[in-house]
Amino acid sequence: MTTCQTIQRQLTAYLDGELADEHGSVVRGHLRECAGCRQVARDEAALRDGLRTLPPIDPPATLWAGVQAQLAAAEVADAHQPHWRRIWARWTPWTRWAPTLPQFVTGGVVAAAAIAMVTWRPHRSDESPASPAAVVVAPASVPATAPLHPQEPPQPVSGGTDDVTADLLAEPARTTARYDQVIEELMKLARSARTGWTDERKAAFDAKIAGLRDEVMRAGPGRLQQRAQRALIRALQGALVRDDIVLASGGMR
Amino acid sequence: MEVLYHQYKRRVFGMAHRIVGASDAEEVAQEVFVRVFRGLAAFRGDSALSTWIYRLTVNAALSHLARRGRRHEVGDDGLTELPAPPVTERDSALATRIETALAQLPAGYRAILVLHDVEGLSHEECAAILECRIGTCKSQLHKARTRMRALLGPDIAARVGHAP
Repeated sequence: MTTCQTIQRQLTAYLDGELADEHGSVVRGHLRECAGCRQVARDEAALRDGLRTLPPIDPPATLWAGVQAQLAAAEVADAHQPHWRRIWARWTPWTRWAPTLPQFVTGGVVAAAAIAMVTWRPHRSDESPASPAAVVVAPASVPATAPLHPQEPPQPVSGGTDDVTADLLAEPARTTARYDQVIEELMKLARSARTGWTDERKAAFDAKIAGLRDEVMRAGPGRLQQRAQRALIRALQGALVRDDIVLASGGMR
Repeated sequence: MEVLYHQYKRRVFGMAHRIVGASDAEEVAQEVFVRVFRGLAAFRGDSALSTWIYRLTVNAALSHLARRGRRHEVGDDGLTELPAPPVTERDSALATRIETALAQLPAGYRAILVLHDVEGLSHEECAAILECRIGTCKSQLHKARTRMRALLGPDIAARVGHAP
């Protein structure tokens, strides 16, 4: 005896024509006898048809300009990347989905701490033979060249990892500076482009850029500021793309 | 590049719109096309171009929602039946109610419904896009439709004029 629950689990496949004949026959037989399941089947079919006939959604006219602006901004950012990063990105494409910078920095700090802990312990245990008692009971097999006095404590490994950590921690500031450079370059282009604009467009552009610059200034150092910088870059690129300046200079594609 | 954009703009934007909502759809669609154009040279042809583009779209949309703290999602407790319109309104009102109900689903369910039912892709294509097994895809679709029925309330068929 097939239960309603079993049948209802198979309804999606049945209505999509995916059930084999014998299973389809079982479902059809149950639906003939069970008004409740018939209703569920009708509702599911109506829902499926409703979903299939949803009207397409037209993208806004600004989408293409936005895509072009972002591509241009990405290319400008590429141009400012150190050479080794471009090589790295080419050989490690998966890093495009790598953790975000803060996650990377946190991971780096944790990894540095873990390395420091692992490398610390053996050195501490090495210090124990340095005590006089330990020297006395030292096995005869110890080579003659083995030092009898405690070795100079090894340079802490954490010194090296500190450099890496400091480098990683400085990355956000470098990114902010890089964005600043891009903004300045785009501003230069915009200044030369705006000479051909109408007064109305100049005013609108100036107001928008001033607002975005304010947001950059207001945001404290860090991700919020970088987000504001990116918005400013997008706005500048949008204005330039409209004038086809970037396209004409071959920088877009 | 522009030809490719025009070929896929409706589908990419439509999928993004239905997964992340109207306010963020343009941002997600932009991100997708930027990834497509920048990654096109490295596209190895392991799957159809359309499958790759839809996968980028779904991933971008789901990542966007995750970044935004899944604010559009509701759990089981949040499922509330939408008020039914008068029977006379029928089809036009149903489309609106379906879009509203779709927006209330968890993002994963939205993705499978949009891919399979709205875009009409096969289970094989959906599984390739969502990077899951075909069985998982079918089971997710069933659960998503069940949730949709719960959201739309009883007797959907009567309101769209499906024969009893």
